[in-house]
Amino acid sequence: MPFDNGISRALNSPLGRRYYRSLLEQGETNPRAEPELSSEAGEPGPQLTRRDLTALLGASLALAGLTSCGQRPREKILPYVRAPDGVKPGVPVEYATTMTLGGLGTGLIGTVQDGRPIKLDGNPEHPASLGGSGIYEQAALLGLYDPARLTGPVHEGIPSDWHSAAEAIRGCGPRAWFVLPPQSSPLAARLIEQIRLRLPWSRFVHYQPLPRHAVYAAARGTFGRVLETHYRLANARVALALDADFTASMPGSLRMARELGQRRGRNTSGSESRLYVAEAMLSPTGSLADQHLSLQSSRVPQLARAVLQQLDQLGLRGKVRGAAPSASSSTDTRIEAFARAVAGDLARARGEAVVLVGERQPRETHVLAHAINQALGSFGRTLYFAETPLLAPEGGSSLEDLAAAIAASEVDALVILEENPVFSAPPSLRLEHLLPRVPLRIHLTDVENETSRLCQWRLPLSHFLESWGDARALDGTVSYAQPLIGARHESRSSLELLALFAGREEGALELLRALHQSDAQRSEAEWEQRLQAGFAAGSAFPPIDVTLDAEAVSSAVQAVSASTHDDGALEVNFTLGKVHDGRFVNNAWLLELPHPMTKQCWGNAAVLSPATATRLGVESGDVLEIAIQDRKLAVPALILPGHADGALSLDVGYGSAGDGLGHGVGVNAYVLRTGVAEHFSVGARVERTTMRVELALTQEHFRLHGRDYVKSTSLEEYRRAKRVAPEQRSPQRTLLPTVPAAGIQWAMSIDTDICSGCSACVVACQAENNVPVVGKRGVMQSREMHWLRIDRYFEGDVNAPRVVNQPMLCQHCEKAPCEYVCPVNATVHSPDGLNEMVYNRCIGTRFCSNNCPYKVRRFNWFDYSAEPSTPLLQKNPEVTVRERGVMEKCTFCVQRVRRAEQRALAEGRPSAATEVVTACQAACPTQAIQFGSLAAADGPIRRARADGRSYAALHELGTRPRVTYLAKVRNPNPELGE
Amino acid sequence: MRHAPHRGPVDMPALFPPWTNTVFPAVLAFSALAIPAAAVGLMAFVRSPWNTGQFEPVEQPVQFDHRHHVVDDEIDCVYCHRGAETSRFAGIPATDVCMGCHSQVWSDSPLLEPVRRSYFSGRPISWNRVYDLPDFVYFDHAVHVKKGVRCATCHGRVETMARVHQVAPLSMGWCLDCHRQADAGRLEQGQQQAYLGNTSMWGATVRASEPNGAWERHPVTRLTTCTACHR
Repeated sequence: MPFDNGISRALNSPLGRRYYRSLLEQGETNPRAEPELSSEAGEPGPQLTRRDLTALLGASLALAGLTSCGQRPREKILPYVRAPDGVKPGVPVEYATTMTLGGLGTGLIGTVQDGRPIKLDGNPEHPASLGGSGIYEQAALLGLYDPARLTGPVHEGIPSDWHSAAEAIRGCGPRAWFVLPPQSSPLAARLIEQIRLRLPWSRFVHYQPLPRHAVYAAARGTFGRVLETHYRLANARVALALDADFTASMPGSLRMARELGQRRGRNTSGSESRLYVAEAMLSPTGSLADQHLSLQSSRVPQLARAVLQQLDQLGLRGKVRGAAPSASSSTDTRIEAFARAVAGDLARARGEAVVLVGERQPRETHVLAHAINQALGSFGRTLYFAETPLLAPEGGSSLEDLAAAIAASEVDALVILEENPVFSAPPSLRLEHLLPRVPLRIHLTDVENETSRLCQWRLPLSHFLESWGDARALDGTVSYAQPLIGARHESRSSLELLALFAGREEGALELLRALHQSDAQRSEAEWEQRLQAGFAAGSAFPPIDVTLDAEAVSSAVQAVSASTHDDGALEVNFTLGKVHDGRFVNNAWLLELPHPMTKQCWGNAAVLSPATATRLGVESGDVLEIAIQDRKLAVPALILPGHADGALSLDVGYGSAGDGLGHGVGVNAYVLRTGVAEHFSVGARVERTTMRVELALTQEHFRLHGRDYVKSTSLEEYRRAKRVAPEQRSPQRTLLPTVPAAGIQWAMSIDTDICSGCSACVVACQAENNVPVVGKRGVMQSREMHWLRIDRYFEGDVNAPRVVNQPMLCQHCEKAPCEYVCPVNATVHSPDGLNEMVYNRCIGTRFCSNNCPYKVRRFNWFDYSAEPSTPLLQKNPEVTVRERGVMEKCTFCVQRVRRAEQRALAEGRPSAATEVVTACQAACPTQAIQFGSLAAADGPIRRARADGRSYAALHELGTRPRVTYLAKVRNPNPELGE
Repeated sequence: MRHAPHRGPVDMPALFPPWTNTVFPAVLAFSALAIPAAAVGLMAFVRSPWNTGQFEPVEQPVQFDHRHHVVDDEIDCVYCHRGAETSRFAGIPATDVCMGCHSQVWSDSPLLEPVRRSYFSGRPISWNRVYDLPDFVYFDHAVHVKKGVRCATCHGRVETMARVHQVAPLSMGWCLDCHRQADAGRLEQGQQQAYLGNTSMWGATVRASEPNGAWERHPVTRLTTCTACHR
């Protein structure tokens, strides 16, 4: 029986729209007119009679009048007792610090307002950031204020103190096992050495739920030593990303995103680049691709081998001595065709080509990529190798070793730092049964969770903004973490706990200084200078020359299996999503952030392609039962065009039973894993259950009413037409009065060609502008408050769509439709071109939102910031915290604009036009967002508007938006067709 | 159907007694006057010192006397209110600023007991705010002071106050009185004279250091756009 879920209609629909955000839109030929706010009437209240309602209305009116009686209470001012140096009340101070994720440091600049850290941004000087930041860097701040954090040491459920904990640590037996996240910190290396001296039988498990071991194992196999691969995309004209989300989630992604962004100036540089991406789950990098191939992760190695074979046939093998791959291998025709086209292109761009592989891929893919890169002459040009900053790149001891040791009663003490292995380890290890057999169990953790419930000692972990520390960046640069605030609770950092085991009494700062002074050549001034910069300049590892082991390549070629899966069995991908490996699962900003590609909030789902969904007979929201061997998991399905057929993708880290906001949000995908290093698993059986759940998806909120907001073109067409929107060049007639514009005129330009949809800007906006979080139910009712959303459009065939990301925010229209309908003048225009929102005047009619064609206005249905869990300490004091009943929207970060103006005025300078950087612009890793004055003749805005790719969204409405976009220009390979 | 035949006028009692003829117009007249009067009265009230809190001396935990410190000791305003030139807030001095002198002079005065207690206990002195702008207003001291607005322009002659009171109404209309016009001369003669009377050294430090001030070079900026103060 043919299954009709709207997809088949979408697939066959001749009337389907060019751009669509969801299958529903694509399939519908006559979109229902749906109210923009789907639930207009607020919460359904109890049944009221007319008489009671009138009485209540009268009483509330009378009482409302009374509230204005009486004077406001006198406010108190509490000055410092001893004013610290350099702190001025009301003046924000910035400090350099370092955030560590997966053991690798990223330099950040933290803004502190009156002692409270309120914002994090990338450190422009730091090689791993270059000023950009991702969602994790932006959202990490909120973890500092998490109300679920442990406030003091707990022993056997009873509040204790650090003194007793230190006693217990001193009495710890010699066979201590440490489970800790990957480390690159020079101080940690020193402390681990000292612990080994004191406890000679101690073992260290450098644990990460989804590790990067394959990267290092491949380097060891191919080059004879463990190395880090550094891609230099600035030099790459043709790039092939194999399951590599190198602009959003891979280590070093901020730098690579910046280089890709600079490389892709379609109109300016003259040399076009081309990006091929082959992956299972559509990633932000995949959305940037000129040519995208949806391919199961387990078949990406076949693609790598096919590319190598094609290069071999093109005669590029001469450089790679050793066994040639066997020419005949039965990969499918799709892979074959793609590989042929890619290999030809790579070969033509020899010396300017690169193949990138993600850490999700097995060892063989990395080895094959090394061989391809060698053949392409990429070494030293588009990539180089250097020592890895990690202490134990391949993990040291493993969790399996730990499980075996516990089973053999060979563990005296188990110390788990930061990680939650009971939650994230494969269930086959049975850690929850083994752990209680260890005599002394200590867990250093931010919140109580699955692991800490099995440990006698629960010790509170300091946030990185509360503690001293160090780490190396991916390229080896030594970076320093300095606290922006004193410890809010009785907590310690991992380094401080390791120091306790090493028998050191000093704090982390003293240990860091001692480490600095251990080199006699380093001066005190250098220490100060390093702290101020946040890193030690020139401490990156130098490139290393390598020689490829041909044996390793030929064995990798042999090892790639050509077999396809038997029908019915699917591949399950375990992906790092918004909450990373689970460490951000209590972070409200990340939970509420729509997933960059699926636009799902508050939870995870099994993402699958429309064709696979049709085969399984499921729709989005149907609960699937996934079975891998003996393990089963029920998880809702979510259909995503562009996903690989025959595969599911599941974000890990959700479904935690720990304390905090993330408790019970989503499902725990880790339970399906069979091995500790597994990134995907083949042979899953999937069945549809009778259950259905509603997913919190924002992709269909704010309906488009059949209008095309977005434009994209191909390079070929663009060269012919020269402009993407020629119709927008002629002057527009208007009935409305012309307002003379003088002085600075603020405007923004967003390059959709380099917007990967990574959503760092959305989180940055939320942090900067005190944007509240509304929760899952609120999102389902279309009440999310984000001032900036990223619309993800698909174009073309639902099986292989092209993707355009369009950040959508208040367009600050010169003829703003919202302004004419406000009955109380709460939204007005400023002389410098801002569409202003005056909260005090707003009475909440929502006329403005209804009249806004871009759907960027947000209404405060409740007093969200009055929720007791709201971290008031994080709030930006420069921005009003909005109350219930008022509209709000993007202000172009007017607080930053006005502050810059005031500084310029105070210092007697004429203009501040070039000094203002909006929060979204500062965060963007690819620098897709430009902000400035239209009046500046050689400014970035004038330049962007003169570009042939420039267009205004919904120009035909005559709103004259101040935000303009640069259209996406794809450069597909003609051999592969559109 | 047939109607009953008409029988002429019937003696029906009047619905309203005769005095209503007087009361009803009186009530109408009263309402016509009272309702606008109430509206005008309320509007007058919110602008009056009863509502704005003007001219009401504020009690402080320490009996600090500006008259003595400013007139007798000739201490400059920004010696204590350090943020005025650099920050949004002029600021209240930290306890150690007080103790800088008062560890030497009047070091055992009972009036300074709260200051010593704060200094030695590490607990701040809880001052009562005199000038309290609503929280949705973003005012910046630095830019006003740097452009030559004297302290006394808004704060009055603090050197004559035993206990400080609020001089300006701090209403939006009062802000706009200056910012609606871009004419420094008028402002100087009008607004400033009203509170200051003459030029004195504690008028403003910027003025004191630059006799012809930034005033002439940077006249008042016309600022009537909402986001100038509300964000």
